Amino acid sequence: MKVVEFVFSPFLAFIIGVFFLGLFRKIVARIHQRYGPPIIQPLLDVIKLFHQKGFSHGVLFDLGLILSLAGSIVVILFLPFAGICPLKSSGGLLVILYMMLFLPLGIALSGGEGANPNISIGISRKLILSLGYEVPFLLIIISVMNFYKTISIVDIVNSQGGFRWALFSPLFFSGIAYFMILPAMLGMRPFDIVSAPQEISSGPQVEYGGKYLALSHIQHAFSIFITIALFVNLFLGGGENIFFFFLKMLVVFVSMVLIHSVFPRLRLEQALRYLWRWPTIFAFLGVIVSQIMR
Amino acid sequence: MKVNKELKKRIEKIYKNTQVEFPEANRMVIKTKQGNLLPILEFLKSEGFRQLKAISCVDWIEEKEFELVYQVASLNSPLHIMVKVRIGREDAQMETIMKIFGNAQVYEREIHELFGVKFRGNPDLSPLFLENWQSIPPFRKDFDTREYVKDVFDKIPNVESENEKS
Amino acid sequence: MDRKSVIKWIKEPGKMGHKYSLWAVYFCTGCGIIEIPPVITSRWDAERFGVIPVATPRQANLFMITGYVSLKTLKAIIRTYEQMPEPKYTVAFGSCPINGGMYWDSYNTIKHIDKYIPIDGWIAGCMPRPEAIFIAVTKLWMMIDKGAATGYIRYRKNYKFYRRNQEKLFGELAWPPLYPIDEKEDESE
Repeated sequence: MKVVEFVFSPFLAFIIGVFFLGLFRKIVARIHQRYGPPIIQPLLDVIKLFHQKGFSHGVLFDLGLILSLAGSIVVILFLPFAGICPLKSSGGLLVILYMMLFLPLGIALSGGEGANPNISIGISRKLILSLGYEVPFLLIIISVMNFYKTISIVDIVNSQGGFRWALFSPLFFSGIAYFMILPAMLGMRPFDIVSAPQEISSGPQVEYGGKYLALSHIQHAFSIFITIALFVNLFLGGGENIFFFFLKMLVVFVSMVLIHSVFPRLRLEQALRYLWRWPTIFAFLGVIVSQIMR
Repeated sequence: MKVNKELKKRIEKIYKNTQVEFPEANRMVIKTKQGNLLPILEFLKSEGFRQLKAISCVDWIEEKEFELVYQVASLNSPLHIMVKVRIGREDAQMETIMKIFGNAQVYEREIHELFGVKFRGNPDLSPLFLENWQSIPPFRKDFDTREYVKDVFDKIPNVESENEKS
Repeated sequence: MDRKSVIKWIKEPGKMGHKYSLWAVYFCTGCGIIEIPPVITSRWDAERFGVIPVATPRQANLFMITGYVSLKTLKAIIRTYEQMPEPKYTVAFGSCPINGGMYWDSYNTIKHIDKYIPIDGWIAGCMPRPEAIFIAVTKLWMMIDKGAATGYIRYRKNYKFYRRNQEKLFGELAWPPLYPIDEKEDESE
């Protein structure tokens, strides 16, 4: 039974991630008043990319990407969704925070071998942006752990049963702060500074072709799933079964896409100024409130 | 108009072998010899005509001369001045005007590439547009482009027909 | 359009994948570049065919040569084409790549681009309208179905001749040959 959970959970994450990528392109196209590609288009892209012969720049070039993909899959094994959580009793939130660092680290490792300055510019932008959103993110995590007095995500989800979501409890400020930094964690406008095709020729993905790009797409799908599933688990109460969990993720994702399709791109210092001002203030208020009302 | 006429009188008085005309309103043409060019341009720059718009070249093949046209203008006056100088066509050489107008470097590079006029004192006269050029400068009137195309481009064989042979 | 037939996807996923997700490298050659932004934006939407522009040749499938090609541009085109992963397809727009077009007696443009880069499809016009570009994409799908879009295979087989033609124009080339050229002596000589 456990083995089934170990295999089923990344597979479900892959399906949901690819569906979200396709839904993203379709919704943006409809907002532009045109028909878009079919919703399974990212799957067709991945199938095409697996049949192309890419160029390799060395051993570290391949291994870095595999490290990043492996990091994403391991994080998924720690996240509960609707009762399925293969590694539930091993550290919870702290391990997830630590392992989420592997995603940009793997890409940075493989980018060091590819001899293109655009990769290093993209990686430096990614690391500076993650410096920006990590500050309010850690304050939010501290406030949640403090309020529920536990570090295990499964316990946090279980104590939000019914409709006692964390968003409607005294952790309201932390929830608002998390919603404000979600576009930066997902890499959507106004914060898609990292893979900016017009400015730095797709940033870290510039030398990937063929199978590498397919793995990079799959990793992008996983990272979307991880970020939104974490938000739904911590603040929107998880879900009794897969259907409600998926519905909550859909609502959050569609609101992110609607924000993405309207805003232009910010510069890096403007993004940092935004991320360290209002979300940090709200997260700090959340920490204080959670300490007062434990 | 009075200002322009005064300018004309002053130029003709100072420099010998110079003719100034006004072919249209707000256009002045100064025809000089090669030795007078740099002093006239310095004089015009001190009068306020501080922008070099372009340097162009005309090929008078029957008279066996090149004519270089230096076009200067001012930001305060609507007058557009063209200073025309004639040089010989065989082994054409000219002094660079980079010390007066710094942006003349690119125009002189282009004229060297397309007409074959050497400019003494210009640090960089490498070609701008042409790759692996082995014929006479292409803007001269005795350059036949149709012959050049037949010589260079049409002689390159088609890859498909090569493959059928081998 | 047989994008929805699941049987074909299971039997030959590679061919169907190459047909329905053609990624075009955003290379702007001549005056035809003015026709590309209307094609990829809202009015004549190319994304419903699966065609999106990508910023780098390493991620691209399709190379569009839009308009006349001067000598300097040909150097950049060759370098970009050789960086694309296989299988790759090229389409030439307009009459200038076909036989020189309006610049048939110019000293600085290429008259037949097929001597330097293999071309899969030609579109006539000066410039062709966006509807013609879509007809070209659907014809390219039919060619990929039959297995007739073999530009990259021809480039690999006849690389010796293509490189010799390129060296006749440019003299010594600054980049090494993409495929190894073995100098075998002809037996009859």
